[in-house]
Amino acid sequence: MYTMNALQTENLSKQYRSGAFKKYNIPALDKVSLEVGEGEIFGLLGPNGAGKTTFIKIMLSIVHATSGKAEIFGQSIKIRSVRELCGYLPENHRYPQFLHGLDTLLFFGRLNGLSESELRPRAQTLLETVGLVQWAKVKTKKYSKGMLQRLGLAQALMNNPKLLFLDEPTDGVDPVGRKEIRDLLIGLKSQGTTIFLNSHLLSEVELISDRVAILNKGKVIRTGTVAEITSQKLSYTIQLSSHLPLALEERFKSSLPAFSYTDNRLDISLNDKTDLNPVIDALRTAGIGIDGMTQQKASLEDYFIKLVQGENNK
Amino acid sequence: MRFWGMFRFTVLETVRKGTLIFYFGIATLTLLLLAFGITRSPNDPELITMFGIPFGGKAMGNLGLVEFLLYMLHHQSVQFILLLGIFGVSGLIPDMLEKGTIDLFLSKPLTRMELLLSRSLGATAGIGLNLFYFFIGVWAVFGLKLGVWHWAFLSSFIYVFFAFACFYSVVTVVGLITRSTGFTILISFCFLFISWGLDAREHGLYLLWNNIVYHRLLDALYYLTPQLNAMLENSSRVIIKTALFPGMLDFTIMPFLCSLGSAVLMYALSIWYFSRQDF
Ligand SMILES: Nc1ncnc2c1ncn2[C@@H]1O[C@H](COP(=O)(O)OP(=O)(O)OP(=O)(O)O)[C@@H](O)[C@H]1O
Ligand SMILES: [Mg+2]
Repeated sequence: MYTMNALQTENLSKQYRSGAFKKYNIPALDKVSLEVGEGEIFGLLGPNGAGKTTFIKIMLSIVHATSGKAEIFGQSIKIRSVRELCGYLPENHRYPQFLHGLDTLLFFGRLNGLSESELRPRAQTLLETVGLVQWAKVKTKKYSKGMLQRLGLAQALMNNPKLLFLDEPTDGVDPVGRKEIRDLLIGLKSQGTTIFLNSHLLSEVELISDRVAILNKGKVIRTGTVAEITSQKLSYTIQLSSHLPLALEERFKSSLPAFSYTDNRLDISLNDKTDLNPVIDALRTAGIGIDGMTQQKASLEDYFIKLVQGENNK
Repeated sequence: MRFWGMFRFTVLETVRKGTLIFYFGIATLTLLLLAFGITRSPNDPELITMFGIPFGGKAMGNLGLVEFLLYMLHHQSVQFILLLGIFGVSGLIPDMLEKGTIDLFLSKPLTRMELLLSRSLGATAGIGLNLFYFFIGVWAVFGLKLGVWHWAFLSSFIYVFFAFACFYSVVTVVGLITRSTGFTILISFCFLFISWGLDAREHGLYLLWNNIVYHRLLDALYYLTPQLNAMLENSSRVIIKTALFPGMLDFTIMPFLCSLGSAVLMYALSIWYFSRQDF
C-alpha cells in the first residue's frame, strides 16, 4: 500500500549569506534527505549550530532553501495552503505584550484562518490542555518562561495541525510540565498528528520518538529508530583481577570499535553480542581473572556524544 | 479573514500600545485650547480673536475670515501632525520583523504579500483614525464657536490621509531594509525635507550644480517617490475657494495621482524584497 509521507526532503541545502554585500557564505544544511511518515514522532538531534532550526524554518518558508526539494503531505512547501496543515512552536517566540493569553490565541487562530465561531471554544480547550486557564486574562508580558512555552504550544495547536513542528518544546519548562508536554504529544500522536521535534534533551527524545535523525554540521549522519541507533553497539565494563598486558591492550585497541582501560577496568563496545566470547577467551588465555562484568546499553546521549565527537575528529 | 486578522491586530496595536492614546490626548488638548482660544468679539461680529490675536476686516466677510483662519491653521500644522504620526507608527514594520515575532507570523498560512500589506495598511488606518478625530474636532470647534460648518475643511482630511498613506509606503521600505525603528524614524524625517527640496528643486537643488544629468536625476526622484510636499500644499488649498494672493496656484489632483503610482511602486519593491528575505 502506498502511504504518503507527512514530510519529505531531497538534497535540501542552505547557505546563509551574510556580511556587507552578502560575501560570506555560511553553510547550514548540506543535502539533507529525510522522510517522516504520517503519524510518527520524529526527533531531529544535533549539537548547537547543526542546522536543526534552519531545517524547520525551510519547511515553513521562513527561510528559503538554496537548493533541493521539500514536500509536506505531497505538496511543495512553496504553496501557501501547505501551512494550513502545520503548527509551529519556534525556539524563540515573542508575543504581543499588550494582549493577554486568550487574545493571543484568538489572534493567531485568526491568522490561521479559523472562523470567529470556532476560535473561542478552541482557545478555551487549549488553555485547559496546557494548564493556563487561570492566566487567560493576564497580559503575556507577565508570563514566566515556562508559561510562555505553554502558550506557544497552545498557539501551535490552534488550527489542529496534521504536522506539528516543535523547536525545543520543553525549554524552560519544569520537570512536571515536561512530563505533561510529553503526555500531550503522545496524546496528539494517538489522534494521528505527526510531530517533528528538535531537541537537545536526548533522554526526552528517547522517551517519545519513533525515529530520530542526527544532524551534524548540516549533514544527516544517522537515521533510525532509537532502538536501532542505541543497540548498534553494545558496551560492557569488565573488572579485571590483575593488570592487562600491553600486547593484549594493543590487540583490543585495533580490533574493537571502542576500547578504554584504566585501573584494571576495561570498557569495550562491540558490534555484536557474539563478539564478547573471543574477548573473554583472550583474557582467560592470558591468565587474567575476571572480577565482574556489566552490560551497558548505550543511552541515546552516550551514542550521540560519541558519534558527534567522532565525526568532528574526522 | 487572515488578512483582516492581521489588519485588525495592527490597528489595535497602534491604539493599545499607547502611541495613539498619547496622540488622542494631544489632539484633545489642542482642540480644547482651540475651543477656549477662539472667540468672536461680542461687540463686533466681524472680529475674531484667536489666542488673543485679533483677525478681522470687512473685506474678507465672515465666511472668508473663518476660511482664512482654517487655512492658516491647516497649512501651519499639517506637516507637524504628519511627523507626529510617523513617530507613532514607524516602529510597526521593524517590530514585526523581530526574531520570534516574524517566525510566528510567517509560519501561518499568509503569503508574505498579505502579511506586509495587512501590516502597513493597518498602521495607515490607525493613523487615519487619529487624524480623523482631529479633523472632526477642529471642524466642530469652528462650527460650534463661530457658527461656520466648513465642509471643505473636513474634506481636506481625505487628502491629508491619502498623503500619509503614500508616505507610509516609504516608511515600509525603509523599515524593511533597516529593520530598526530609530533609523526608520530618522530617514522618514529626512524624507519630509527631501520631498520639500524636490518639490522646490527649480529654486534650490537645481542651482547647486548646473548639470543636466543631475537635474534629470532630481526629476526622476521627484516622480518616483511620493510627492508629499505637493500633496500637503494641495490639501490645504481645497479649504479656500479663491486664491488668497495673486499667483497662488489652484488645487490640482496631479501630485495625488503621481504619488499613488509611486506608492504602488514602493509597495511592489517592498513585497519583492520581503519575499526574498530569510528570517
Ligand atoms: N539568519 C541567519 N543568518 C546567517 N546565518 C545563520 C542564520 N541562522 C542560522 N545561521 C547559521 O546557520 C547554522 C545553523 O543554525 P541553526 O540555528 O539552524 O542551528 P541549530 O541546530 O538550530 O542550533 P541550536 O541547537 O543552537 O538551536 C549556524 O552556523 C548559524 O550560525
Ligand atoms: Mg535551533
